[in-house]
Amino acid sequence: MGNKVAVLMRKAPYGSVYTAEGFRSIMGIGVFEMDISVVFVDDGVYAMVKGQNPAELDMKPLGEGFPMLPDFDVTKFYVHDRSLSERGLTPDDLVMDVEIVDDEGVARVIGSCGIVLPF
Amino acid sequence: MLYTVNKSPLMFGNLESMLRIAPSGEPILLYEDGVYAAAAGAASEDLIRQALGDHPVYALKADLDARGLARLVDGIQVVDYGGFVELVEQHHVVPWL
Repeated sequence: MGNKVAVLMRKAPYGSVYTAEGFRSIMGIGVFEMDISVVFVDDGVYAMVKGQNPAELDMKPLGEGFPMLPDFDVTKFYVHDRSLSERGLTPDDLVMDVEIVDDEGVARVIGSCGIVLPF
Repeated sequence: MLYTVNKSPLMFGNLESMLRIAPSGEPILLYEDGVYAAAAGAASEDLIRQALGDHPVYALKADLDARGLARLVDGIQVVDYGGFVELVEQHHVVPWL
């Protein structure tokens, strides 16, 4: 539990800097070879939706970065099932394969980590 | 008056509170994270369907595209930045931040 890190993503992308900053933190933690789990809950699941095109906002697409994170030794991705269904989404709408977890699953993942970083 | 909403409907009460106040017939513009209210199949769909019965509802295309939102609730009118400017020119704006 001690050095395990959970990054808890709860915000929608683009409306604030949280998703982009969360992504940068995940990459940094991965580089240091720490045990990291990334958990998407509430509007955080929107960060993983396919087909994001923020060209007109003059921003970079945030979703397509996540599938590259396994190259940085970040391999554990969890998405909350009810957060998806409440938004009319299914796992097929996401940019990569993830583990779908229920309420207890979210609690179990973050409960197994000594450090929880919220974004 | 043009009522504008930029917050996600499932994380904040802005849309719901605005709909309680906005008189019937007044136009509503969804932008930034407010455009998530336009998503078909979301838990906010009933709320926005109700709104569509009483108001013209617009959603900003650049913000829909950025978020990958393609399946919209029927009746939502998508506007580009030019359409946004026209709405603002035609109405006094009430930003429901």
